[in-house]
Amino acid sequence: MANITKKVSWSSRADESGATAEGTPLLNGSEQPRPSRQLSGSGGIFQIGRLSTVDLEEEMTSEEESLRGRPKEIPHNEKLLSLKFESLDYDNIENQLFLEEERRMSYMGFRCLEISRWVVCGLIGFLTGLIACFIDIAVEQLAGYKYQVVKTNIEKFTEVGGLSISLILWAVLNSAIVMMGAIIVAFFEPIAAGSGIPQIKCYLNGVKIPRVVRLKTLVVKVCGVICSVVGGLAVGKEGPMIHSGAVVAAGVSQGRSTSLKRDFKIFEYFRRDTEKRDFVSAGAAAGVSAAFGAPVGGVLFSLEEGASFWNQMLTWRIFFASMISTFTLNFFLSIYNNNPGDLSNPGLINFGRFESGSVEYNLYEIPLFILMGAVGGLLGALFNKLNYWLTIFRIRYVHRPCLQVMEAMLVAAVTAAVSFTMIYFSNDCQPLGPEHKEEYPLQLFCADGEYNSMATAFFNTPERSVRSLFHTQPGTYNPWTLGLFTITYFFLACWTYGLAVSAGVFIPSLLIGAAWGRLFGILLASITPDGSIWADPGKYALIGAAAQLGGIVRMTLSLTVIMVEATGNVTYGLPIMLVLMTAKIVGDYFAEGLYDIHIKLQSVPFLHWERPPPLIG
Amino acid sequence: MSVRKNSSFLLFLVLISYALVSGDAVNVTASDSADTLTQSSSLNPAAAAVVLVNSPVFKKPDVDSPFSLNLLSSFPEDEEISVYCNDLLHIFGQRYVSYVNCSVNSARPVKVCQNCFSSYGSLTEIYLNISSDQMSPGNASCRESLLRSDRLMLVYLLYSNLKDIWSKSDCANCVTKGFQSLTNDTLYFMDSVNQTLTCFEKHKEGNHTELCKSCKSTYKGLNELYSRMETNKTMCIDIEDVMNVTRKLWSKSYNCSFPREETVPVIAVSSFMLFLPIIFYLSSFLHSEQKKRKLIHPKRARSYNTLMNIQDKLS
Repeated sequence: MANITKKVSWSSRADESGATAEGTPLLNGSEQPRPSRQLSGSGGIFQIGRLSTVDLEEEMTSEEESLRGRPKEIPHNEKLLSLKFESLDYDNIENQLFLEEERRMSYMGFRCLEISRWVVCGLIGFLTGLIACFIDIAVEQLAGYKYQVVKTNIEKFTEVGGLSISLILWAVLNSAIVMMGAIIVAFFEPIAAGSGIPQIKCYLNGVKIPRVVRLKTLVVKVCGVICSVVGGLAVGKEGPMIHSGAVVAAGVSQGRSTSLKRDFKIFEYFRRDTEKRDFVSAGAAAGVSAAFGAPVGGVLFSLEEGASFWNQMLTWRIFFASMISTFTLNFFLSIYNNNPGDLSNPGLINFGRFESGSVEYNLYEIPLFILMGAVGGLLGALFNKLNYWLTIFRIRYVHRPCLQVMEAMLVAAVTAAVSFTMIYFSNDCQPLGPEHKEEYPLQLFCADGEYNSMATAFFNTPERSVRSLFHTQPGTYNPWTLGLFTITYFFLACWTYGLAVSAGVFIPSLLIGAAWGRLFGILLASITPDGSIWADPGKYALIGAAAQLGGIVRMTLSLTVIMVEATGNVTYGLPIMLVLMTAKIVGDYFAEGLYDIHIKLQSVPFLHWERPPPLIG
Repeated sequence: MSVRKNSSFLLFLVLISYALVSGDAVNVTASDSADTLTQSSSLNPAAAAVVLVNSPVFKKPDVDSPFSLNLLSSFPEDEEISVYCNDLLHIFGQRYVSYVNCSVNSARPVKVCQNCFSSYGSLTEIYLNISSDQMSPGNASCRESLLRSDRLMLVYLLYSNLKDIWSKSDCANCVTKGFQSLTNDTLYFMDSVNQTLTCFEKHKEGNHTELCKSCKSTYKGLNELYSRMETNKTMCIDIEDVMNVTRKLWSKSYNCSFPREETVPVIAVSSFMLFLPIIFYLSSFLHSEQKKRKLIHPKRARSYNTLMNIQDKLS
């Protein structure tokens, strides 16, 4: 046993040091070519290449021929593979030593191993839930504080004049907070940027992304996501939860931390890529489950996006981790909310309960839902295309850390400015319902007792806005508000994703979709002579949210289950599934999924399940 | 025994029993003796119809006549005990009517709490009497006989409807315990509302800007008082409604809300911020060095003539 452990840990450590050694000079731009590494790297990629389909090879050929005459230095594009990445060893090396070691294992040892697998999974779930809880509470407190400050300021200046000062205050606060988040990401751990889902997807599929499951990454990720959500960017905290869960899993299962340079001498048997992969998929599932309160969705996410290997016991363990994670989050949030034992806060995002009376749908609505799915696919493809161009520009021109930090700050300031302008010029005043008590209503120029309804959408954390779009009574938003909000938020979210801050794209997509979905519902009610059949725009907001999210990320099975679980309503299974299918089909016709685009742009040698379609012409 | 025969027999039984009981029963349900005759006559066919329709159900448990007769004889005895309860019910009805009358009359503008709290108090009192555990002089619990002896539970239903209205209106916040009087907070609030309204009245003629200026302090004080009460949760529907009306007067009729007059600075500042990223991107496009990737063709892959590798580094 000791033999094996030593061997495995040796190989893995060598890999890690290799990765860092390689990573650093790349960042600093050192000229050192590493012949040995180059050889091994090319070997790895060569292998991947040989496994790929004929079509891919053809594509590559044409690319190479076009490049043959040129100098070897080219601008970054999506058709490159980086040598930075190596492959993980998902096969046990069945040599003599290994077999002897396995044979020597006692009955008790075998059983203990089984038990410790469960213990590790439980720990993963528990810690992931704790992290989710921490993020949630921190965001709520800090954002609450920020909005309170801005709100009192705006109220003061509405009366005496000088609202442009409030605008500047809001923008400065936002940029300052985002700056902190961007600095830690850009200078300390660039891999923690973005949602982390593309990286985890690569990792689970056997591509070793350097430093992706380090403790340092986790810390940066958690602080970064808190900063970016509090800083008012158009982002969510759900995507990073998945990455966080994966890091927790990798750390706990290995019993050591490279960032801390500590080895706890536990779980040494698990120190190989196969075992680590299993735990990382459990961690990703736990992350999803904590983020959306969707344990089954988490398991299916691991299955759909990640794990290249799957069996019953593993599934069951992953489910266990997911359940523990959502339960932990639940429990600690109930203590935080002063009603310990009330387990009704299952996820970071809580869509709220859809009452069964208000959400019933009819057969004749199915075509409408499918139409909405198509719209979602189109908008998603547009989003992805825009983001693709933006990301290429960023990789080529905005690659220095200080520039990245500046960019993030600018985005934060512009987000604040745009939101403020929209709120300022909105004439849509609505009386405040009793369910709005905990938010930050802004009155501005509305009549007393009424509040600016653009502010309920913009002057709020995105999750709350989503919930308000799903659940407020018909008539709360007027169509112009919703239309303007959709357009602005669409471009803001598209611009924001890919910044050097850690932030997810789930919530912004849901928000965009919920806004145009609600708009759709309102328009339906207004064009039909008796509007009562289409009475509930919240239903269309939900469908729109699903369509938009499906159009952007192109997940299918797991997203359906996540949405169903997050709304707590199984009757929506069919429409959500149809909508996601349509969105994926329509979207795939125009552009790839956002995560796949980002995987490509990072030059990761990632092999898809399906061969790419034959090129046209 | 055919269905028809059985049903007609039952109809007969019920008619007899109704005639026997009606003396008591009608007194219980409809207290005004003037109505007794018309009610009983109007109820009779209805009862018969019900029995006719339901006759298969009656038949089902295979009831034989002696059992029915027993039931018949036991009916009046049960009701006889509840003379006391009958009185209670009578009072309940009277108070119920007076409370409903009162609330309907003060529905718009809402003054249900101010006007009707005492009648609601007396209604609760009598209902508590009915539903209390203590035995009536006849040694029967009125709670059983009045509240729970049938499916409809009419008395309970009626009362709980009113109770719902009461709790929805939050009147309990404005009324002292024991329904003695309105709370001091409420009285004080109403007083300041009156002040504001008289101020409005005084300056109503002519230019509204005058009104906005001179009533601002009173109105503002009222607003602050209201928001204090809102946070303390000492509000009831009366206060909310009167505040709503005042606010509407202030901001819609007299147009005293804040005007939107700083459009230019806001546009200037936000367009300045919108320009910043354009400058940023332009400058980084023009001045920042473009990141170049170095291509590497791996030796082994060349034999396939299909693959390439790229050494990832800065130029």
